[in-house]
Amino acid sequence: MKVAELAEKAGYTVFSEGEDREIENGYCGDFLSNIISRAPDSCAWLTVMNNVNVAAVATLIDCACILLCEGVAPDDALLARAKMQNIWLLGAKENVFEETKRVASLCGI
Amino acid sequence: MECIKFEYDVDGENFSSAGNASESVKRTLKQMGVSPVSVRRVAIAMYEGEINMVIHAHGGKAEVEIYPDRIDIYLKDRGPGIADIDLAMKAGYSTATENIRSLGFGAGMGLPNMKKYSDEMKIDSTVGVGTTVFLRINF
Repeated sequence: MKVAELAEKAGYTVFSEGEDREIENGYCGDFLSNIISRAPDSCAWLTVMNNVNVAAVATLIDCACILLCEGVAPDDALLARAKMQNIWLLGAKENVFEETKRVASLCGI
Repeated sequence: MECIKFEYDVDGENFSSAGNASESVKRTLKQMGVSPVSVRRVAIAMYEGEINMVIHAHGGKAEVEIYPDRIDIYLKDRGPGIADIDLAMKAGYSTATENIRSLGFGAGMGLPNMKKYSDEMKIDSTVGVGTTVFLRINF
């Protein structure tokens, strides 16, 4: 499933949009060193981290989208950078575990 | 051998530009047709180095030399230096503050990741003077 369809079906908040790519994988984490070395390409990255470094890491790992969980909103710097770099930045209400189950089930991954 | 050189200033004052040098190098390597696996290794190693300079050394310079078969990266700072390099290389060891940890850094994986994803790594550091990290990644 592609990012736009996931956002619509799951009812996620869309903070920023990018290229509509297929979600092939997932990764959950908040420690940026773990994410940058372990997250697979074209993944949905689920996190509660909402500062500007998230955008830099997302670009380097080439993820399909970032999903901020637990009702977390991006801070101003992250929002600005995500928009500037055309990174998909979505928001979800539930915790990382619940949202992981939802993404996995909707995307069949 | 012919090489392409780049030099980047790594701003130590804020995090908003951290990662710019790594992203620029990543884009360049992609355009040159370097394999995705190699591009990823370079991006990881260089980003960790860049972040280290921001966190620990008030910024610095990144000098990059791209050859047909490899990339050489020199990360130079005038920060506090590393007193015990062996200890700093240990996975999980970090001197980052609570504030830095709350930003998602300080897992103590920066130097270990740089080592893991490079083919050669050398640290030259003098306490009170600064640190130069050399990274070589073969394509």
